[in-house]
Amino acid sequence: MSSISVNQQARPRGGMARIFSHPKVAVGGAMVLLFICVAVFAPWLAPNDPNAQDLLATLLPPAWAADGMAQYPLGTDSLGRCVLSRLIYGSRIALIVAVAAATGTMLLGTTLAILAGYLRGGFDRATSFIVVLWMAFPPVVFSMMLMVGLGTGVRNVILAVILVDWTRFYRVVRAEVIVARQREYVQAARLLGFSHLRVMLREVLPGVAPLIITLFSLQMGVAIIVEAILSFVGLSVPSNVVAWGVMLADGRDQIYQAGWNLLAPVCGIVFAVLAFNLLSDGLRVVLDPRLRKRGGE
Amino acid sequence: MMPAVLEFKNVSVSVKVGGADVALLRNVTFDVGKGRILGLVGESGAGKSMVGRVISGLLPDNLRFSAGHVYFQGGELTGRKARALLGRRIAFIPQEPLSALNPVLTVRQQMFEHMKHLGLPRKQWEPYCLERLAEVGLPDPADMLGRYAHQLSGGQCQRVLIAMAFSGDPELIVADEPTTALDVVTQAQIVRLLRQVQRKHGTAVILITHDLRMAAHVCDEVAVLYAGDVVERGSARRVLEAPWHPYSWSLKMATPNLTGPQYVLPALADLMPGLKQIAELPGCRFARRCPTRNAECENHVPVLESVGQGHYVACAGQCRADSASRKTEPHALPPAAHPGGRPLLELRDVGMTYQGRGGRKGQLFHALKPLSLSIGPGELLGVVGESGSGKSTLARLMVGLMAPTAGTVHVDGVARAQASARQAAQMRETVQMVFQDPDSALNPRRTVEGLVAQALELRSDMAASERRQIAERLIKQVGMAVDALQRFPSQLSGGQKQRVNIARVLCVTPRLLVADEIVSGLDVSVQALIMNLLLQLNRELGIAVVLISHDLSVVRYLCQRVLVMRHGEVVEQGPTDQVFGNPAHPYTRLLLESVPSDDAGAAWPPTEHDQDSVRAGSAELEFQS
Amino acid sequence: MASYAALLGRKLGTVFLTALLLSIVVFIVLRIIPSDPLAMMLPPSATQADIDFIRKELGLDGSIFQQYLVWLGNALQGDLGASIYFRTPVLELLKTALPPTLELVLVSLVMALAISIPGGVLLYKLERRKGEMVADFALVFLLSVPSFLWGIILIIVLGVVYPILPFMGRIDPSFSVDTITGFLLIDTLLQGQWRAWFDAFQHLILPALALALSFSPIIVRVLRSSLLDTAAAQYVNVARLRGQSEWRVLVHHMLKNAALPTLTLIGVQFGFLFGGTLLIELIFSFPGIGNLMVQAIKNFDLPLIQGVALVFCLMVLVVNFCVDGLYAVLDPRLRTA
Repeated sequence: MSSISVNQQARPRGGMARIFSHPKVAVGGAMVLLFICVAVFAPWLAPNDPNAQDLLATLLPPAWAADGMAQYPLGTDSLGRCVLSRLIYGSRIALIVAVAAATGTMLLGTTLAILAGYLRGGFDRATSFIVVLWMAFPPVVFSMMLMVGLGTGVRNVILAVILVDWTRFYRVVRAEVIVARQREYVQAARLLGFSHLRVMLREVLPGVAPLIITLFSLQMGVAIIVEAILSFVGLSVPSNVVAWGVMLADGRDQIYQAGWNLLAPVCGIVFAVLAFNLLSDGLRVVLDPRLRKRGGE
Repeated sequence: MMPAVLEFKNVSVSVKVGGADVALLRNVTFDVGKGRILGLVGESGAGKSMVGRVISGLLPDNLRFSAGHVYFQGGELTGRKARALLGRRIAFIPQEPLSALNPVLTVRQQMFEHMKHLGLPRKQWEPYCLERLAEVGLPDPADMLGRYAHQLSGGQCQRVLIAMAFSGDPELIVADEPTTALDVVTQAQIVRLLRQVQRKHGTAVILITHDLRMAAHVCDEVAVLYAGDVVERGSARRVLEAPWHPYSWSLKMATPNLTGPQYVLPALADLMPGLKQIAELPGCRFARRCPTRNAECENHVPVLESVGQGHYVACAGQCRADSASRKTEPHALPPAAHPGGRPLLELRDVGMTYQGRGGRKGQLFHALKPLSLSIGPGELLGVVGESGSGKSTLARLMVGLMAPTAGTVHVDGVARAQASARQAAQMRETVQMVFQDPDSALNPRRTVEGLVAQALELRSDMAASERRQIAERLIKQVGMAVDALQRFPSQLSGGQKQRVNIARVLCVTPRLLVADEIVSGLDVSVQALIMNLLLQLNRELGIAVVLISHDLSVVRYLCQRVLVMRHGEVVEQGPTDQVFGNPAHPYTRLLLESVPSDDAGAAWPPTEHDQDSVRAGSAELEFQS
Repeated sequence: MASYAALLGRKLGTVFLTALLLSIVVFIVLRIIPSDPLAMMLPPSATQADIDFIRKELGLDGSIFQQYLVWLGNALQGDLGASIYFRTPVLELLKTALPPTLELVLVSLVMALAISIPGGVLLYKLERRKGEMVADFALVFLLSVPSFLWGIILIIVLGVVYPILPFMGRIDPSFSVDTITGFLLIDTLLQGQWRAWFDAFQHLILPALALALSFSPIIVRVLRSSLLDTAAAQYVNVARLRGQSEWRVLVHHMLKNAALPTLTLIGVQFGFLFGGTLLIELIFSFPGIGNLMVQAIKNFDLPLIQGVALVFCLMVLVVNFCVDGLYAVLDPRLRTA
């Protein structure tokens, strides 16, 4: 039997270069990076102290408008606080909540999903039943109820997001695990003597990893929105901490006099969530070989 | 002389690959006369479906009609004209019948939609449909109209689709692999039906298939395609009996005989070139694999030339029907092991019964009725049956993926159910399984090396270099180059994937391999490769093989003994030559009759035997459940 | 037919059971931290009468289990307790607040479908053509704007800067409409008050649009994806080969099949639509249960929170029930046992 050379029929696997070649990943990734930088370097980027009140300069328009002051590039709110500085500092809360909540949701949801999807049986039925119950709650209602039960504060906001949204990871990852479990390579691994745990970690998990990464990015966007909602109704941060939702609540009272107070946090939220959504979308296409085939040639 | 119904004259279709135009179809020339059947034969990637697309005028945007003409009833057939004729004067019969009907619409809704398209007056729709459905042999047309696709079997769906295709009394029908997705018995029935209806209506038919033998029996003329070229064309019987072109010959020889003396399957090196490779082949596209090529072949585009009696061949090399390179070696299986030694694998009254699920709770479903079986070292056993026969269940029970609900399985004398952990590990090394679907059987995220040496991961004491060495040895054993180790499964062809599958299993040095339909779905030339590999492993390493297949000729080639299964029970067993040469059970006879014969002169499909059709008909409905 | 009735009965039973379990979850969630609710709920100037009232309302003397049973017993008789803040029975508050929310949600659903079905088809048609990239980015952008931000943006643009539409309440206070069904769009018609109808409709536009704009991209996305999946199906190609026009193939073959996963997703995401009503009603001063819930939460009004939360859950369950039923009607594969 002569040696036969391998026929290269698919694109060679690149690496990071290939991943970033997709426009959504590139743009989304850049936006996320920008967001993180703004949050991390807030003290150096913000022109003023976000909580410093200047009662002589309340409701100033942005610097380029007629009555604006260069000191306050985006104007001030009803207590004379610099809008731009508040916007920049608000990103910190958004980032903290995004990262912490997404990580917690991912760990909880994925672990339960892999166990349930792989082991099936009673555990799967029990967890799936809980998920069905959970899904009967509109997420906003559920998280607000949790804030009542847990108490207010950013830490509890993170906890609330984890407790409400783990179902997102659970449902999607579990479906994938069930499909993977029926694949013959799982049976083949068992035939070679691999234990269940080994199969879950070495055969199933790598297959669902891209999906988990995609959902993680998505979840970060969701967490930012939930935090904004909760701080809008005053259930999140204490009064001396800046959050975008708080800025929205404040700005709403001045909607006729100073509409730009609202635009800043609106843009901030949309920018951050858009960044994570773009990244998530791009990763989904890039990391899933099935989608690649359809989208590509 | 009447003009042909359809004529292709030097048709070329191109696509842009990396800036250059590559001809997917090159100089394709053929014609179909009124009431005649032309077979377009080729393996996957040969371009036969592309011909269908050209005829329908539904070419994808990136493909260009770059040369030649298509004539329909003497007039030029442009894409636009073709689309206007669809369903009316030119009709299509699709490949996978079960997915070819809209799942949320009834048969009636879809047929009526077609009636409207044909322009029939509304009052006539129902009676006309009933007539058409009766014509294709469906027993209760009125009931059939009210059904949905998921309530029909594959054969019934295809009959409905044939009925719809013939509804407008078209002048040309293109049947694109109409029987590939169906069971062997149903295949024969559908082919027989197609010929009947075609004769009645006098329709010209183009039958696209990969099965040269079937084409030779059913068609009047045959054209063999390879990588977009028509390499041979002529009367069906002549092309099968005495193929001139080396590729046609290898295609014919790649399927083993069901009757008569056996020969070693000649395996062709390499694969049919894909798009990228075609761009680098200016001359004959088969040249690189051709045993009789000469210096001109690679640079000279071969043209169809007559070799007498309407037989055309496109070859510049020294191809001749009596070429020296076409000698075959006789093939004989090693004699079966002497009974008396301890069997490697033994099944004692093993049965498998399931609880019905969903609406059938409380009902018992017998996937496998109790059977006993023993397999000795180095033995070659075949298990033959159609889908639903229980052969896959049997395979899984043998390997230990499932535990039987009745009876016991013994490996090397030890009962599986009572094995200690160490004994169970030993059993795993003794009996292994090669799975059917290489796409599903190979983890797409692992490299070939990771897959082949997977079993070694459990041995923590092995160094990486040692693992690498073993992986290299295994990959060479299945005839692949060492550089394949770094590739991923998505970069391998079907045959290569299957060989990696086998290499991976060899890692634990099993003494019995259960191969579950491992060659179905592969091109015949690749099939030959895999089968020869299994024989080699049996010869050199003494590995016993249990081959599960629906393909009788493959089983005859590879197996000393055969089991014929149907509905979960063994209906016949014995030495292969005896069972296939002199079948005792009527089901075995039915199976054998349904396979296209090697002899082009023999009549196939078999004419309808009332008893057999009744049994087959009821079998078809039972398979559905 | 008997089997259908049995199936229906079984499904309804599941709904009730789920509702019961949900009430337990609500109960527990609100009491995770065993803090003294009295301190949270009452202003410092509370009198002894206030404290006793609350004690009695919540049955705070017993254990959680006992409190739940008390609540459940009352609930099954139609008494959902009384709001501590409003000093009115919860059921009364719900009766007045539910119709506005239902009206709002229904109108926004209609709007969302009107936007997203053509939108999904359009996006599908743009596949692999120029403009696909732009449309795709636009879709992701729209997905990134939550409903309450849409509300704020719409108020600024169409309410303040270009004051075309109203954004406070359900109807101009100058109109007086008797409450028959609670649905203003119906009640005004029943009483022949055309101008009032138009005014009520105008008040509905901005909040419903805000909800619709947040819901539509999700539907567009799944519809486009289902259409792509359907387009690759054999039967679509076969229909084309039978000579059916592209239009017919799209509408009769593809959309009918693509509707199924789309419907499933709409059902799943409906909770999301209901959740949006909380802030939208707050922002637009719409007197619905969303607004009620926010008030209740701000005031730690436990009985009211429980009542409203349950109503939300029940609505989601009802929607799921309807979606399941609709799915069985549309997909014949589910009908045959």
